[in-house]
Amino acid sequence: MSFWTDDVTARDVVAVGIVLVSHSPQLAAGLTLLAGQMAGPDVHIEPAGGDQDGGLGTSDELVRAAIARADQGDGVLLLCDLGSAILTVREVLDGNGNGHIRLVDAPFVEGAVAAAVIASSGAPLDEVAQAAEDARDARKL
Amino acid sequence: MLASSEATMTLPDGVALHARPAALFVRTAMRFRSKIVVAANGREADAKSILSVLGLGATAGTTLVVRADGEDAAAALDALAETLAGVVE
Repeated sequence: MSFWTDDVTARDVVAVGIVLVSHSPQLAAGLTLLAGQMAGPDVHIEPAGGDQDGGLGTSDELVRAAIARADQGDGVLLLCDLGSAILTVREVLDGNGNGHIRLVDAPFVEGAVAAAVIASSGAPLDEVAQAAEDARDARKL
Repeated sequence: MLASSEATMTLPDGVALHARPAALFVRTAMRFRSKIVVAANGREADAKSILSVLGLGATAGTTLVVRADGEDAAAALDALAETLAGVVE
């Protein structure tokens, strides 16, 4: 019995990883901090902001590296700040479309926060992705 | 057996349901199977949805009415009250 109990406890700290792709390194880093504070230490949130020289833009290499860091075995959800970052992510995911690494169409800030908090409960990738998408309908006022 | 419980909880001094306290509240709610609804300022939120809870705009001193439906409803309300009492801004 204790074996299974321990097993469940161990699973609790495995969470879907999250990659935040932004044209700005500061935007990606700031949102990583915010979502990370709200989700707690069990969720691996990784920024992929800017181009490789730290300027505005996106980098397939930075996205690739962020995915590798975020992946704890339960899948990785990617969120982008603006549509053109989608092109970079699609390029990276080409040939990797097994569903384990998933791009989601969601508002950047609200989607990241919603996904990160849900992921902290150990929710599966489908549920984390759904929470990010549902963020589109959340009203602030 | 489906149980339903309701409790009022007042946000402590200096504690509003801003980002971090709201996240702690939601993360506690997510540990339970019960459906949990939190009401404040005439609005209702799903206690397991961070964006929903943030949308309540509950400031320090606000009284929350928390209702849980499910077999672990009572335990959920206890845990949520404890979480709020323990939040230090």
